Amino acid sequence: MSIEEMNFSRRHALQAMSTGFGYLAFSGLSTMAAQSYRNPLGPKSPHFTPRAKRVIFACMRGGPSHVDTFDYKPALAKDDGKKLKEFGSRKLLQSPWKFHKRGKSGLEISELYPQLAKHADKLCVLNGMYADIPNHPQCFVQLHTGSFQFVRPSLGSWALYGLGTENQNLPGFVTINPPSRVGGAQNYGNAFLPAIYQGSRVGSLGQSLKDAKVENLANKRLSEREQRKQLDFIQSMNRDFKSGHQENSQIDGVIESYELAFRMQSALPEVMGLKGEKQSTLESYGVGNSKTDGFGRQCLMARRLVEKGVRFVEITHSSWDQHGGLKKKLGDNCMATDRPLAALLADLEQRNLLEDTLVIWGGEFGRTPHIKKADGRDHNSTGFTFWLAGGGVKGGMRYGATDEHGIKAVEGRMHFHDLHATILHLLGLDHEKLTYSYAGREFRLTDVHGKVAKKILA
Amino acid sequence: MQTIYIRFYAIMTPSRYLFVWILGLGAMVCANADSAKIEFFEKKVRPTLAKYCYECHSAKSEKVKGGLLLDTKLGIRKGGDTGPAMVPGDLKESLLIESIHWKNEDLQMPPKKKLPSAVIKALESWVKMGAPDPRTGQTVVKDEIDIEAGKKFWAFQPLDHAEPKVRKQKWVRTSIDRFVKAGLEAKGLSPATDADKATLIRRVFFDLTGLPPSPDQVEGFLANDAPDAFEQVVDSLLASPQFGVRWGRHWLDVARYAESNGMERNAAFPHAWRFRDYVVDSFNEDKPFDQFIREQLAGDLLPGETTDERMVATGFLAMGPKSLNNRNSAEFKMDLVDEQIDVTTRAFMGLTVACARCHDHKFDPIATEDYYSMAGIFKSTHALFGGGGSGVRQTTKLLELQDGRKEPGEQKINHAKLMAESQSQLKLLNKKIASLKKEFKGKYKLAPEYKVTISEIKKTQAELKKNRARATKSKKQTGALAMGARDGKPEDAKVHIRGNVDTLGKAITRGFPQVLDFSDIEIDPSQSGRLQLAEWIADPANPLTPRVLANRVWHHLFGRGIVSTVDNFGETGERPSNLPLLDYLAARFVENGWSVKKLVREVVLSRAYQLSSAHDPANAKIDPDNAFFWKMNQRRLDAESMRDAMLAVSGRVILSPAEGSPVQKMDGNIGRNPKQLEELRKAKLDNRSIYLPVARQAIPEVLKTFDFAEPSIIVGRRDVTTVPTQALFLLNSDFVITQSKALAEGLAQVRKEDQINHAFRLLFARLPTSGEKIRTQSFLDDCMKYEDSELQAWTTVCQALLASAEFRYLN
Repeated sequence: MSIEEMNFSRRHALQAMSTGFGYLAFSGLSTMAAQSYRNPLGPKSPHFTPRAKRVIFACMRGGPSHVDTFDYKPALAKDDGKKLKEFGSRKLLQSPWKFHKRGKSGLEISELYPQLAKHADKLCVLNGMYADIPNHPQCFVQLHTGSFQFVRPSLGSWALYGLGTENQNLPGFVTINPPSRVGGAQNYGNAFLPAIYQGSRVGSLGQSLKDAKVENLANKRLSEREQRKQLDFIQSMNRDFKSGHQENSQIDGVIESYELAFRMQSALPEVMGLKGEKQSTLESYGVGNSKTDGFGRQCLMARRLVEKGVRFVEITHSSWDQHGGLKKKLGDNCMATDRPLAALLADLEQRNLLEDTLVIWGGEFGRTPHIKKADGRDHNSTGFTFWLAGGGVKGGMRYGATDEHGIKAVEGRMHFHDLHATILHLLGLDHEKLTYSYAGREFRLTDVHGKVAKKILA
Repeated sequence: MQTIYIRFYAIMTPSRYLFVWILGLGAMVCANADSAKIEFFEKKVRPTLAKYCYECHSAKSEKVKGGLLLDTKLGIRKGGDTGPAMVPGDLKESLLIESIHWKNEDLQMPPKKKLPSAVIKALESWVKMGAPDPRTGQTVVKDEIDIEAGKKFWAFQPLDHAEPKVRKQKWVRTSIDRFVKAGLEAKGLSPATDADKATLIRRVFFDLTGLPPSPDQVEGFLANDAPDAFEQVVDSLLASPQFGVRWGRHWLDVARYAESNGMERNAAFPHAWRFRDYVVDSFNEDKPFDQFIREQLAGDLLPGETTDERMVATGFLAMGPKSLNNRNSAEFKMDLVDEQIDVTTRAFMGLTVACARCHDHKFDPIATEDYYSMAGIFKSTHALFGGGGSGVRQTTKLLELQDGRKEPGEQKINHAKLMAESQSQLKLLNKKIASLKKEFKGKYKLAPEYKVTISEIKKTQAELKKNRARATKSKKQTGALAMGARDGKPEDAKVHIRGNVDTLGKAITRGFPQVLDFSDIEIDPSQSGRLQLAEWIADPANPLTPRVLANRVWHHLFGRGIVSTVDNFGETGERPSNLPLLDYLAARFVENGWSVKKLVREVVLSRAYQLSSAHDPANAKIDPDNAFFWKMNQRRLDAESMRDAMLAVSGRVILSPAEGSPVQKMDGNIGRNPKQLEELRKAKLDNRSIYLPVARQAIPEVLKTFDFAEPSIIVGRRDVTTVPTQALFLLNSDFVITQSKALAEGLAQVRKEDQINHAFRLLFARLPTSGEKIRTQSFLDDCMKYEDSELQAWTTVCQALLASAEFRYLN
């Protein structure tokens, strides 16, 4: 075959692709799939009209203290130093920080978050969160997958499975700087869902995004043009191989995944860098400032990715595990995240993305208002706080409450399962209907649990 | 008031009965019953219960909620899933009272509306006065499970495989063909044409050994016109040690084999590789599968000499992922038992018994009692998984092997080193305190660093203490060690209501699920019952075990099981597409002494196995999934076969087994050390892929990318996905480029005009068409224009050929 013929073949292949024969692979749905294969990453219709199209989850690993940030407890100040019967010698410790009413809504936010507080009217603060065990690994994995006992697909994988993604040149679920401990890859894993739904990891905890990269994205030997030629040859072989098997959608999948991979090679590095961002934008996120650079880059990257149509982005800040040194370390953490988070909300809003982007903030649990020592707080899974913003939630709102000291969620209680159900609901997915058949059983993110918090829906 | 004696007889059903009856046979002695109190009940209590509660909590309820019946005296006192509803005289202990106060959000009754306060008061008064209750009658808790009806399910029926009649006898070559053909005829399907010889030899090589045939082997087969030419090939492959590598790996998928714990404390399993080698050897020896089952479940208890091999086999029970940092030992133990029940029942019998941990199985006739009858067996067993590393609260010893070979360079957890580290840290901290004292003279306790340092000292001391304890514990553990199981104190397990370790019900005698009553094997109460469990599972009369295993073999040879849900033969699994065929295979398997090799041989010598994978629109219309096997399925090579094939065609593969594993040098938490992770993920090893390290959450990139079985769960059927990361791996990874270069170097040894031909024969077991030859040549010429050397140009071409779909698909 001559070069002309090869070019013709390629044109032919591209035509065929644009007329939609392509699929990647949809294992587990073979009966359906054999009849009508479709790109498993292609945008899919949700169950009902979504209020959010994409998600940014700012994960605060370690368990941020709610009573010092978003859960104002005047009684805690009043009872500072008192012992509670059920907690033995432990004493209540008032928050070292003041709370102020912020925004039109008058939402009380601690002085630790001065920049973010300017966006109080965008926040939907969930004060009634609770989980099962005050242990990092279990809670962290359960926060991400719904189960700490079994290996289950992560929230982002479910979202991608349910909705596909809008940019076919990029992975649909990206996790930035995830921890390798507390469950590691399980927290963005696809488990039994097809591998295509797993989160693509960029960097790892503690690493600066400046140095993060995706594996096998570049060829060390060939230029792009040379590689394109090589790929054309591969694709011509693939088409020949396919022709012996009419209706062979497996090989169609191979052909299409090669094209996407080839596109990703140029699209992914482009979005990974911060090219094209104005200096003022970089500054607003705190990029370049040693205190905020790390998380600022993550927030900015998250915006760049969702802007390009990536469905689910998770970013991680660590560590919020202040058993001691509360005043200093919690202060530092809030300083590191305050400006970047505020910039993220402002930037999304300014780009008209906030209305259909759900931003989530929270960690695996909260912290006890009582402590044996001074200046620290222990793990508390019986009551803690998340906040949501954007995509279909009411702003300037507080939902749920802990008891007077912030120990236990007593009102509007939300377990991770309920949070998951609510997030899926905002994405237009019914958590009871988003199922995957595996090993002869229908699985879902919320297992047999989960209630949508309807009161927070805008 | 005189004491009331109530006796419960819990009559466990012989499996004949439809229901589990719990009969409360009360000797009602109520001589001095205060009639006024009874009147109070009749006026104030009974109407309330009837009005607000009976809808969900009486014999007449459509569905009894929470297992609680309030319409009899026995019911209200015995209570439901959460325990007694009412304790006479004790308001605090009475859940009924707690629930009507609506103070506990999880327990609010009646659920829709709180009772009027007068009614609440009346109920309280009633409890306080001792809860007089004239209601008689038995509490009958009707179990949802209908064991007898459940037995009728196909999978619990004995094997039945009367030879079917077929219309077109001529097509039939073997007994298997007769069954397949009958199935096809019943559906109006016609078999595809036979595969050509080149396709067939490539297929059977990969299926039996996971490796491609060499060009010489292909030539030899093509040139051999003997009627038994194919048989000769098959027999040589069955005799090859590579057979065990391929088929052993299939079993390791099911046995969720791994070299680290996974979960939140990913402790290394430095001795796990012995189990891998045991499995490979067992398949190579063609160990009877019933024996293979018995060894894995009870190798330590089998009659005769307890060899190292049998001890290592029990590693099967110790290999699961566990919550090693769980503080609650009771919970840890029951989670471990649960995992063992799950792997045992699903791997061998395709039965999801573990679903009955918290409640009766929702779909299959497995009662919670069945679950706990098996739980007792594992509760009476110690799983030895070793352990160690920071934050690991649950550790055990390991099995000490008698004359097992010592691992090369094996290291044990060096507690001495850890202790020395803590000690030097303590020294530093003490120094810090000293300097603080100096600096702040008498006021040092006010310095903020003081408290931090003190807390660190305490922490380090605790760490030191722990390591000291562990060092003592593992002191005597020297020599060759292995994971495995041994018997503990024999005891029955109690039902854990809703699976909760804090709410225990009655103890259940150790035994086996009632629905499977094919055998009289009984458990001696003085033993764990593990041996009997193994005998019971491997009993030739067990209708599930041979079916499940025959189906697994079929699945690996056809890319689809006769029951497509290979790990689930229950109600929620798929039904067999051809039950007589499955039963024939299962019966043959048992008849041939549970020989896997004989079964594989019989299947691949059938005509059905040797069909072409070509598409046929008419057949596809009737059976799009090829559930009835009218053709061979086109299959993608699994990760290992693809990698091994690349190594093989590049001439780099090492076919001998690797010694041990890279993990055996590791201890503590895998993944805490990024370098270690990298070492595992990018493991450089030219041995076959089965010898790559399989640490959970650190699976080698080449395996993970191509749908390797998740080693935390039982995987009888791997996913087959096609994702861009695979394409990126083929286009850009060092591994593929290395193999391409080696392949190019090999081709350089061949005469120039034969190079392209040779490449195609090596990779695809065929010659190129003239069109392909021209195209490849022209691509090579193109590459020569921008590559530095011919070798470089060939490297680019070889990579393209390795990356082509044909290389990693079987027709």
